[in-house]
This record gives sequence, structure tokens and C-alpha cells, in this order.
Amino acid sequence: MNKKVTIIGGGLAGCEAAYQIAKQGIQVKLYEMKPIKFSEAHTSKNLAEVVCSNSFKSNLHTNACGLLKEELRMLDSLLIQCADKTSVPAGQALAVDREEFSKLVTKSIQENPNIEIFHEEFTGEELTREASSNNITIIATGPLTSNRLAENISKLTGKERLYFYDAAAPIVKKDSINMEIAFYRKPL
Amino acid sequence: MHFTGNRYDQERGKEEEIEVWKKRITNQEASYINLPMNKEEYETFYQELISAEVVTLHEFEKREIFEGCMPIEIMAKRGVDTLRFGPLKPVGFTDPRTGRRPYAVVQLRQDDVSASMYNLVGFQTNLKFGEQNKVFSRIPGLEQAEFIKYGVMHRNTYLHSSELLDATYCFKKNPNIYFAGQITGVEGYVESISSGLVVGMNVVNRLQGKEKIIFPKDTMIGALANYIATPNEKFQPMNANFGILPELEERIKDKKVKYGKLADRAIASLQNVEDDAIYRLRIRMRKKDKLKFVQERPLVVLIIRRIV
Repeated sequence: MNKKVTIIGGGLAGCEAAYQIAKQGIQVKLYEMKPIKFSEAHTSKNLAEVVCSNSFKSNLHTNACGLLKEELRMLDSLLIQCADKTSVPAGQALAVDREEFSKLVTKSIQENPNIEIFHEEFTGEELTREASSNNITIIATGPLTSNRLAENISKLTGKERLYFYDAAAPIVKKDSINMEIAFYRKPL
Repeated sequence: MHFTGNRYDQERGKEEEIEVWKKRITNQEASYINLPMNKEEYETFYQELISAEVVTLHEFEKREIFEGCMPIEIMAKRGVDTLRFGPLKPVGFTDPRTGRRPYAVVQLRQDDVSASMYNLVGFQTNLKFGEQNKVFSRIPGLEQAEFIKYGVMHRNTYLHSSELLDATYCFKKNPNIYFAGQITGVEGYVESISSGLVVGMNVVNRLQGKEKIIFPKDTMIGALANYIATPNEKFQPMNANFGILPELEERIKDKKVKYGKLADRAIASLQNVEDDAIYRLRIRMRKKDKLKFVQERPLVVLIIRRIV
């Protein structure tokens, strides 16, 4: 069997997937458009660039994200390992030195003999053509996916199922609403 | 710069037809929860809302985002009564406590099939998360509210995964394609890593002719994967939170104790996953990680354990 895996996007998800697959001896092609082309929010040439904040949130297991990290440590996550290794003091939270974190991930991926990195934009025309092929493609292009790729993804999924903005209202737990004040609406 | 999706059309696409809404309301009385406010309560809330701190947006987001969908704090700044003629309109409501029409009403709409989560209708916002907690807790009935997710407005490319992907993040229409990271609707750094790991392990199993690894719903990694794969018309990006785990059998009031128990159950469940790759990791887990976990557990949980 022809075992070929292509990963689009060298962010957190793409790098983790690449590591998990490569460590089992399977060849991975990882496409990252930086530094040829940058999104509006990215500036570094490294893989696994963390844009918004340097915090990976709480390390406590009584925090949902802390629990998730603990599960990922148990499952040998490369990225959490790198975050642990490049952490900076932040109380109960896991915060990282962004530059060090990205560099460490980049180095681990670059040095992995089963991963080959291509710095070019993947626009995804082949996605719609290769429906029956034996190759596996992982799309991990994040919230700022480039326009041409997004267009081709929407051809696969249907236009109405690919969103470009998130305008969400807060969500609360029902148990925590004071039902002595609240009332249900009666049917019209 | 142009986008293939039109923001206004997309928002409108998420809205319900009036007939669908009527049918849903008639079928399910409990799908909306209403919080009435009197004049004084409304004005207190209003003042807090217009003076709260907002998130600084990227330049490209400022340009693109606000046509067709306005943050509640911006709408509020247009005038003290604007919200009462918009999302907080009290027309048609009777406050059961007073028998009269309230001054304003905050509506909460059911957000999940099991009716454990409700969203605040019309409250899309750019307030900082801490400010949302402070300001929205001023709404009578939400004083103790637990926020599963805060409101956001930003550029975000993501799929309506609940129709498209299975619990291994595999594209159902073409199983040779997987999605990972925020494009699947998981939100946050660690959540993205989690999806990448699930995809990676599953691609390996697939190529080695082994079975899919679907993580149990009571683990956080599995709950996220299952959330994105569960049919949901109002699908929205989701971060890790205890609200997406199945409830414990016993009712525990103290949040920390409850979360501790949910976490213990998750770790135990993860250790029982039947899979070769995980089996090999398990020996390592038992030796090292579990020990670390026990040490971190708060004392209260240990005491309760002993009593039980």
C-alpha cells in the first residue's frame, strides 16, 4: 500500500499530527505557506507560531484545559512537551516563551527524518479532483485560512457550511441560572 | 481583500425562519428562558455595559466585521433605550412575579440537545472575557452564572463540522481528508493540539489497517471530538469545558470537588481505551503521570473518597 500523508498548515494542530504520524515510520509532507506568504496576524517564520497570547491556560486538573493538557501528556503530545520545556513562571497556568516554543517545535519537526517541509501555499485545487486517491490529506489551516484554499474547501463542504466570521453570544450553564427569577416563554 | 463568504448572508443563514421558530417554540416550551428586569436593574446593567473594556481588534477585522452584525455594547452606546427596542424588547412578556410587562427582558436560547447550555440572544460582543463575567452577572438571574463560553466577534474560518466530520475529525464525504485545528470549530491552543493528536493517531491506524480510535465522551479529548461531530444546527466553536462532559451520577455542589471527580473519571477512562498505541503508552502513564496526579489532587477530594 502506498502510504502518503500530506498535511496543510504548520500550526499547532498540523505539527502535532505530523509528529504522531511520523513517529510510526510513516512519511509526511508538511505544507506551510510562511515565509512565502503571511496571514494578517502571523509574522514569524517559525512553525507553531502562537499569535493571541502566550498562555496555554491552567495546569490544574480542576480546570478543563488543565485536564485536557494532562490527557495530552499521557498520549505523548509533542506540542505540550515543547510547551512544558519552554514555560515561563505563570502561577498555576502554563505560559510559554513564544519564540522559544516555536523554535523548539520547528527544530523537532525539521529534524524528524520522516517529515519533509514545503514552504509554499497549498491552494487545494487537487482536493476536489483526488476524491478516490490513496493519499491522505489533513487540512489544518486555522482561523485565517488563505482565500483560495477556503474557496476550494467550500466546494467540498458546500458554501453554507464554511463560515468566515465568528459572532457568538456568551453561553451559560443552565444549572447556574436562578430559576426563581427566570421564566420560560409560553408558546405563542 | 475579499472573502468568498458574505458575512451578512452567513449571519442570515444562521437565523431561523419564523415558521420554524414558531414550531420549535410550540413543541418545546423550555427552549427559551427569559430574565425580566425593572427600570433600576436595567439602568445599572446599562451603565456597566457601556463603560466596560473591549478587546482590541486587528485592523483587518475592524474593516470586515461589523457590517450586518453589531456588538451589544456598540448598540447600547447609541442610546439608553436602544437595547429595549432591540434584543431586550419586553413586548409580549409578562413577569410572573408582578403580573406586568417588565422594563426589559434578556432572552436565553437553548444551545444544546440536552438543554444544559443556553446562549444570551443578541449578546455578540467584544467585551474582554473578565468584563463579560462582571457585566453580564449584573443581569438578575445570572448573578451566579457559569459561563461555558464567552461572546466573541472575530475573523474565523471554520466548518459546520457537526454535519461534516466524524469523531476522528474525518471528512465524511471523502474519508481521505481530515481536518484539524481551529478550522474544525475547536477553539484554543490546547484544543487545536488535541484535534491534531486525534487525527494523527487515527491516520496511523487507518494506514495500518486498524480500527478508528474514538476517544470516550467522558475524557476531555473525546468530549471535544464528539462535540464537533454531534448534529447541532447552531454549531459554534467550542473550547474545553466541563459542561461538555457527561454529568456525574451524584450531584456535587462544590465546583472544585465536582471538577476533580470529573477529571479523575476522565483519566481513568483514558487509561481503559482499547488500542495498541495507547496500550504501549499506558505503562508509562501508570508509572509517572498518575502519581503526579494524585499529588495534585485537593485534600477535600481525598477525604470524600475515603468516606465513600
